[in-house]
This record gives sequence, C-alpha cells and structure tokens, in this order.
Amino acid sequence: MEAFIQPGFWIFVLAMAGIYGVFSLGLQIQYGVAGVMNFGHVGMMAITGYAIAILVIRFQWSFWWAAFVGVALAALGGALLGLSTLRLSGDYFAIASIAFAEITRYWILNSDGITGGTQGTLAIPNPRGFGGYTDQPDVILYWIMDRLTPYLGDNASRDLAILLVVWPFFFLFLWISARLQKTSWARVLRATREDDDVPRSLGKNVFRFRLQALVIGSVFGGIAGAFWAVQFMLLAPEDFLRIVTFYGWMILILAGATRVKGLAIAAIFFGFLYGATRFVEFWPISLLSAPERSYLRIFLIGVVLIALMVKRPQGLFGKRQEMVLE
Amino acid sequence: MTPFYTSISKKMFASNEGWPVTDLIQYLFNGLVAGSIFAIAAVGISLLYSVLRLVNFAAGDFLTLGAFITYFFSVTLELNFILSIIISMLAGMAICWFLELVLWRNLRRNKAGTLALFLVATGVALMLRPIIQYIFGTETRRFNVDILKTYDFFGARIPQTQLIVLIFATISILLIALYMAKARVGKDMRAYANNPSLAAVSGINVDRVVMATWLISGALGSLAGVFQGLVQGQFNNAMGETLLLSFFAAVVLGTIGDAYGALVGGLLLGLFMELSQLDIFFGGVPSNYKPVVAFAALVLVLLFKPEGLFGYRSRKV
Repeated sequence: MEAFIQPGFWIFVLAMAGIYGVFSLGLQIQYGVAGVMNFGHVGMMAITGYAIAILVIRFQWSFWWAAFVGVALAALGGALLGLSTLRLSGDYFAIASIAFAEITRYWILNSDGITGGTQGTLAIPNPRGFGGYTDQPDVILYWIMDRLTPYLGDNASRDLAILLVVWPFFFLFLWISARLQKTSWARVLRATREDDDVPRSLGKNVFRFRLQALVIGSVFGGIAGAFWAVQFMLLAPEDFLRIVTFYGWMILILAGATRVKGLAIAAIFFGFLYGATRFVEFWPISLLSAPERSYLRIFLIGVVLIALMVKRPQGLFGKRQEMVLE
Repeated sequence: MTPFYTSISKKMFASNEGWPVTDLIQYLFNGLVAGSIFAIAAVGISLLYSVLRLVNFAAGDFLTLGAFITYFFSVTLELNFILSIIISMLAGMAICWFLELVLWRNLRRNKAGTLALFLVATGVALMLRPIIQYIFGTETRRFNVDILKTYDFFGARIPQTQLIVLIFATISILLIALYMAKARVGKDMRAYANNPSLAAVSGINVDRVVMATWLISGALGSLAGVFQGLVQGQFNNAMGETLLLSFFAAVVLGTIGDAYGALVGGLLLGLFMELSQLDIFFGGVPSNYKPVVAFAALVLVLLFKPEGLFGYRSRKV
C-alpha cells in the first residue's frame, strides 16, 4: 500500500490523467455533441506524435513549429477520414475509423526509413547522430523543476512539471468545450444526433456540422499526442494500438458522454487505474509480473466498460434520458 | 506482436524460380486457404450482425481462444487432434452461451444502443485477451502436426497442412450454407434478421434464434482459429486480434448481415490479398503490407459500394 501515499505515484497518475483527459475531450466533442462514433481516435495521437518526432529529429525543426504542424496534420487526418467516410451510418463509420487508425499504425511500423519502424523514434535517421525531440520543451520543464526543488526536493520531478503544464491546458480546453456546448452550433449538432431530418429541413448541412466536430475532436487528439510525446520522450508503433482509443472511450463513458466537467474526475480515475497497474506493489498485484500487469489493466478497462454499459450507460455524472441516443 | 502474414509458410514456400504460372498457382492456393478461413470467421460475424445488429469486436479473440484450447488438449494433454478441435468448438459455444445469458440478453431487454453494443463487445474482447494470456502464456505455440511435408503442383509448393485445412474448410463452408438454407433454425434466423417483429408474431422463439446465432458463431470462431493456427504454423495470443479488421472487410465486402455474402466476401478477400503480391500489381505489394490491403479494401468498399457486393442500393447505410 506504500505506493498510494507516495507523492510520485499520484503525480504520475495526475499527469497521465491530464493527457488522456485532453484525448477524451476530443471524443466528447465528436460523440457527446455530434454523435459521431470515432474508434480510430488514437490515429490522431500517432500522427501528431510522429510528425513532431520526425520534423524535429530529422529536419531539425523547432519543437513548437513541429507541434503546430503535427496538430494541423491530425486535423487534416480527421478531415480526410470524415470527407471519405462520415456519410456512412454509425457502425460503418466506426469500422472505417478503426481501419484508418490501423493503416496509420501499419505505415509507421513498416516505414523504417522515415519513422524508425519497430524500433520507434530512436531509429529515425538523424543528421546529427543520436537525438531526442524534447530539448526545447525540456527547457521549460526543467525551469519549472528548478523553481520547485527548494520547496519539494526530489518530488519536483519531470512528471510534476508536465502535470503543471498539462492541467492548465486541460482546464482551458474543458472551458472552451463547455462554452462550445452552449453555442447554436452545438444545438444543431445535438439535434442531428437525435434526428437527421429536422435540422436538414431547417436548411442545415448536417454533414458539414459533423465534419467540423470530427476535425475539432481530432485537434484535441493531436494535442494529447503532443503532450504524450513530450511525457514519454520516445514513441513506438505499439504505443498506438487500438486499445488506446478505448482508454479515451472509457473516460468519456465514465464521465457521461454529455458531461464536460465529469471528464476531469473520470480522467483521474483512469490515471489511477493506469498507474496502479504499473507501479503499485501489494498483494495480489505483486504476484503478477510486469507484462501481466499491463494485461490486468486491459482486463479492468474491459470490466469497467461492460459494467458501465450494463448498469449505468449514462456514466457517473450523466443524465439517463440524454444517453438513449440510438 | 508478430503479424500473421509474415508466417513461416510465406518464407518457406514463396520461390522466385520456375515459370510465372507457378507464382500464380502458389498465390491462388494461398489465397484460397486464407479466404476459406476468412469466410468461416466472417459468416459468424455477419450472422450476429444480421440478427442482433451487433458488430462483434470480440470475434478475433474467440479465434485465439479456439486455437489455444485446441493446443491445450492436443499438445499438452496429448488427446486426439480432431477431438481437441471439437472440445474447443464446444468451449467457444459455452462461452457464447454464458455471455448471452448473463450479458447480451439484459442489454437487449434494456434496448441498448449501437454504442453500448460496440463498447460491451469491445469490453468482452478486452477481458478475454488477458484471460487467454494469463492461462496460456505469451509464448508462440505450434500444433503437433508435420508442417514441413509439402506436395509439388506445377512447381508450386502445397504444404500438406494447408491442403488439409482447405479441404476441411470447404466442407465446413458447404455445411454452413446448407444449414442456413435447410435447417429450421437457419431459416428462423434469416426470417428474424429480415423483420424481427414479423418473425416474433409469426411464432418464432426470438431468444432461441439469438442463442442459436451465438452458438454457431462461437463454434465457427474456434474452428477458424484452429485453421488459422495450422496455416500460420505457429501462433501467439495476438493472432485473432490482428485478423479482426480483415474479417470486417470480408463481412462488408459480402454485404454486412448477409451470411452467404460473408462466405463469398471472405474467399474474395483472401484471394485479393494474396494475388496483390503478384508482380503485375504495381510490382507486387510487399507481404508486410498485406493487412493494409485488407483495410484499404474495407475503406474502398465502404466508399464506393457500402451496400457490399450483394446488397441493394436502397438499403440505408
């Protein structure tokens, strides 16, 4: 039980919560507002993360420009996905979006010369020899750490610096999203979620509204990817498996698909699940080896998803009548 | 995670020598073998969709489970191989039976929506995967069969195991088609898929039809898993999961919800994926991009013919 009282554990939990919170905020705009079931959200994370790594390491770009272009590419990915397949009905689009994310991942996996292939971003060809891509954000992170060290000692870790950067952004995005929900734009989308024909009869281009929601959500997916890339300092294709999208879905469903503020709490719950199955040493978890623990995490997420859908499909903070969509 | 496509069969049997027809025969044969397995797995997914409107995200893991249970009985306990396959099919059916009773039936009563069905199916997959991993381990396994024996057919090399799989898979496909056409439950299934309320008022026992669908898909999942394990030569716990999207591609290609279509879609997709490696297609798709061929086929069908090969345009998709 010791780990639970160690600040380092909770700092990691909160840092992960912030990153995945931003990630699931993208899904919240796509599904909670527009009713678009995107199961390939992890693809956006992969696009931004890898764009940053490639542009910084190989082409010596500034991290900030690379992050900007990376997020723009995620938005472009969302636009391409939407333009091609968003006209399909819900379950068809869901399958197509998974295919999109998997094609992205297979391309990363098999393009050794560009992405480093199975060895991840460490193997990206670099004119200067070995190199990471976090030098510039690290300047800020270490500045924060230096300011805090006199007060917190060893607890002023890089994780803490990330936490202090990510959470203000997360709250900012939550606030933007909450404001967005009150616009007429979101009202049209909520109407399309219930019934396509009514907004259509009012002259609204339903497809365009949905596409906008998909692209905005993809931007948040991309931003989460940028945070993720900074947090872990290297990327590999297996970081972007299908399962990551369902991390986001679990947070979203836990919060209630239409509850913006619940996302923060649900994200912390996920961060706890993620951290606890990774670091905590007590019986019975201590009986499991490290790979078995990562499987325990997947198992628990499966349990939470099923339990929620059976017992409380509206999530912890949602309204039942808003959840019955289809 | 080893993609199944880089299985040893490919490395062992693809030869650059001989005349071009040899390559064609080789890829046709490989395509038929892969396609027949796709067909068996796809028909289970398609039946579930037609009856329950459920996209079964757990289908891939049922394949893995089938292969591992067969491995356990035939290699660890040294039982007869055919008997082991039957046991694994029964186990697949038992799990589907259990899940229908405790899970899916309740969701149906609660009128669960598309997203709920999606996420619960995913949840089942996420629970099944660690269980398989915990019980059977992460090691690569292989069945206790001779995978080295091959026949020569006009220069193409036909491995004995794959030939046997092809024969048995073909028999299975014919039996499934016959069952759907002739058996009472098969007919009920099609009736219910076509019009649930009409089927219900005409005296069809809905719960029985749904249960039959689950049992069939459970049995077919295990069977396809064993076949896939045999064809790959070796397998690990990521086998089914890797294949899942290819199955969806087969289902969509053959019109989602159409069981006969899924059989044809599976065969076509298998042939397409193998033949795409021939030189005449842009110099041949590299074998590690074979899954991408399936995903691309999936996206292209969704773009240009979302109703599939056998559907009507009028169907709302």
